[in-house]
Amino acid sequence: MFYRTAGQFKTTYQADHALFPVRQDAVLLGIVLILAFVVFPLTASEFAFRALLIPVLIYSLAALGLNVLTGYAGQLSLGTGAFMGVGAYACYKLISIFPEMNIVVALALSGFFSATVGVIFGLPSLRIKGFYLAIATLAAQFFLVWLFQKWAWLYNYNASGAIQVPNIDFFGITVAGPRAPAIVQYYFVLCIVCLLTFFIINITRGRIGRMWKAVRDMDIAAELVGINLMKTKLLAFFVSSYVVGIAGALFVFLWRGAAEANLFDIPLSFRVLFIAIIGGLGSVLGNFLGAILIVALPVVISSVPEAFGLPLSSATVEHLNIMIIGALIIAFLIVEPHGLARFWAVIREKLILWPFPH
Amino acid sequence: MNPRPDHSQLVAPDDGIARGDVLLDVRNVSLSFGGVKAITDISLNVLKGEIRAIIGPNGAGKTSMLNVINGFYTPQVGTIIFRRKERCSMKPHEAVGQGIARTFQNVALFKGMSTLDNIMAGRSVMMKRNIGWQMLWRGPALKEEIEHREKVEEIIDFLEIQHIRRTPVGKLPYGLQKRVELGRALAMEPSLLLLDEPMAGMNLEEKEDMSRFILDVNQQRGTTIALIEHDMGVVMDLSDRVVVLDYGKKIADGPPDEVKNNQDVIDAYLGVPH
Amino acid sequence: MEFLNNVLVKPFADMAAAPDFLIQVLWEGLVGGVLYALIALGFVLIYKSSRIFNFAQGIMVVFAALTLVGLHERGIPAYLALPLTLAVMFVLAVSIERVVLRPLVNQPDIILFMATIGITMFLIGFGELIFGGENKVMITEQLMIPTGSFEFEPFGGFVSIEQKDLTAVIGAVILVAALLYFLNKSKIGRAIRALGDDHQAALSVGISLSTIWVIVWFIAGVIALATGIVWGARAGVSFALEVIAFKALPVLMLGGLESVMGAIIGGLAIGILEKVFEIYWGQPLLGGNTEAWFAYMLALLVLLFRPQGLFGEKIIERV
Repeated sequence: MFYRTAGQFKTTYQADHALFPVRQDAVLLGIVLILAFVVFPLTASEFAFRALLIPVLIYSLAALGLNVLTGYAGQLSLGTGAFMGVGAYACYKLISIFPEMNIVVALALSGFFSATVGVIFGLPSLRIKGFYLAIATLAAQFFLVWLFQKWAWLYNYNASGAIQVPNIDFFGITVAGPRAPAIVQYYFVLCIVCLLTFFIINITRGRIGRMWKAVRDMDIAAELVGINLMKTKLLAFFVSSYVVGIAGALFVFLWRGAAEANLFDIPLSFRVLFIAIIGGLGSVLGNFLGAILIVALPVVISSVPEAFGLPLSSATVEHLNIMIIGALIIAFLIVEPHGLARFWAVIREKLILWPFPH
Repeated sequence: MNPRPDHSQLVAPDDGIARGDVLLDVRNVSLSFGGVKAITDISLNVLKGEIRAIIGPNGAGKTSMLNVINGFYTPQVGTIIFRRKERCSMKPHEAVGQGIARTFQNVALFKGMSTLDNIMAGRSVMMKRNIGWQMLWRGPALKEEIEHREKVEEIIDFLEIQHIRRTPVGKLPYGLQKRVELGRALAMEPSLLLLDEPMAGMNLEEKEDMSRFILDVNQQRGTTIALIEHDMGVVMDLSDRVVVLDYGKKIADGPPDEVKNNQDVIDAYLGVPH
Repeated sequence: MEFLNNVLVKPFADMAAAPDFLIQVLWEGLVGGVLYALIALGFVLIYKSSRIFNFAQGIMVVFAALTLVGLHERGIPAYLALPLTLAVMFVLAVSIERVVLRPLVNQPDIILFMATIGITMFLIGFGELIFGGENKVMITEQLMIPTGSFEFEPFGGFVSIEQKDLTAVIGAVILVAALLYFLNKSKIGRAIRALGDDHQAALSVGISLSTIWVIVWFIAGVIALATGIVWGARAGVSFALEVIAFKALPVLMLGGLESVMGAIIGGLAIGILEKVFEIYWGQPLLGGNTEAWFAYMLALLVLLFRPQGLFGEKIIERV
């Protein structure tokens, strides 16, 4: 009754190409943005920022990057964690070599490093398809993590082998490092994630997005309608790794504060992949829904039994968490292979008709 | 019934070749896979503005011929002259740039995308705005998107598929999928359109619709068409000239009436032992 | 010049200078390769019969070994724990078929692949929840696997071959031979191969999909258990070692997804080459631990020239 598309006529194609052709969607997004920019910062505790809000945003961004490659261009990647690592180490080196560099500039540049590495490891995709390619991306995963460990220059020859984020100011406000307040970091991450999401939405709904989807759905036919497979696939690797690299830099600089090479190992790659699958491949919204689920799940598992007076040990929580995630993935693939995003689409269709059955 | 709208503004691009001149000339082409000969020494030409049919029993090398014309296979022997330019080997996506578009025997649409997006994908090559403008969705990128959308809407009108504009093509019935595929090929504004069995698996009504679209494309837009089809009635009615292949060799070439009465053709179809 | 010498000349000079050490390295590589080949074999079997790329094969190895050791830890003697573990693997095969495969039949390959990643996660969580996450020692002696070692002195040097490794190699050879015999001679084996060629055709001649799937996953489970015992005897049993299971993947890339011979040859080749590379090039020149990626890079290089792997069937694209 409240969610009607009837009566909203478009008189120009321009209006039809608006981001939200349906008025209610725009209103809904407005509400979410108000929540994110005003309500959460006013109400959230330090714990909520560090354990929920900031990681949800960063994981969403990483999953968005992966979704460009896997969900839109159809090239399965199991090496997301390593590309996040390239972004993080690149940002760390930029900041240590040019301490005066603006953090936003450093982030934007570090994305180019991961994008370049992404394109190099994307080159085999021109010859190798499907599962073989998925395994080939593991080559990137293992090789890069090994490099992070062995190449001491990357971590400034620290005895610990870890990178430590120094205090970094952004126009007089400390945004990264031990002194940075959580609320500032949250706003900083939120702005970057919103901006990149806006860019990705636009890219995926235009010519480039159609070319990616064409390659995903049927690469031979795509070639025969004049799409250059090589350029299109490599562009997908570039854009995807760029976003993933920035997510990796944010992961270390705005959230963890320090990182060792094995932080970027297989488990991180898989966590991001699961967010993309559970959220919905080929959807932008899904990454955010998936990230909320994956980040919130361990918190829920540890806090709910506690509320009933049955506290679980942290090891048990972790094991249960992994088990439930595994079961969730299978359940989603069976019930709705298109993930949480499709659930929303179904609800939306029902709402449009409600209260009538058809 | 409403009169068919005039779509004469949708003309094939001017390629400097007059109507009735040779648009495509295939000379002495042979193609083999390993030891299997798919095409043996075939020559044929397509004149600008005509509908050219390629027929023959199963396995005669018809689809291989189309694949050679649009660059998917590279022949071992022979030359291909298209728009007065000779070429030997090229990538399929380059063929599109030269003005060759095609449809497929088994529908080759992008199943996860809507009808609109499928046809828009056919115009990818013509859209030039770079990723910088794309990610802003402002200025030149938006302008370009809307220009092409207008052209695509004309095609959608022409093929009478307005109602399925937003439907994912994977959910459409077969006949409509074939129509969308034709739409995607038209969106490329080809000077030569290759149709691989455009009417396979259709019922009579759908065949009539499709024949009408093919004739309209040819007459209103002036697009040259080469098609493969098994339905002899359709072939004889639609085409200006017919070439018959059998076992990878050309056995007849000429106007439909002449070909119909050719003894070799009758033998090939009735199966006289070689 | 110095660099070229270190890369191209010195490693071979080292090999020639200490042939006994080279033999030792080759043997270690061979044993590692046998393990990779066994894991890869489980993959190939499932892929051939169902077109499923079973990412969980590596985890099934750990899960099987963990179940065996875990049962023994709870006071069940080895001769009972072994058949009990086999029963667990059978239950696992049945539940995977029921819960995961049956509802997903006819879905695109990639969905099934991701489902096996889900199985992987579930098994890790489930195994650790029941048996604990800490490293365990394989019950080598209770299974009557000899633990001593043979020592040789060729070329005036010294080579030591552990008896459990030798047992592993011999066991693997017997296992593979039995498997090949089963695939080629038995009725079920032929049905499995028929399913791999064409699902629908196999169904239409009366082969039951779900029975075959249970059998195949159970065989994969048995192979996993055998691999788990051998590997556990060498390195201990814990999910922290799951990374080694990832080693089987480049073996598949190299050998091709559908070839039993490819899995065996690919496994042995990768096991030996990565050991030799690590000892003679990795440790002196690259800081060591190159085994983490060598297999993948090698497979990637091979694939660039042969996209279907060394033994895979050639892909012909048609429209």
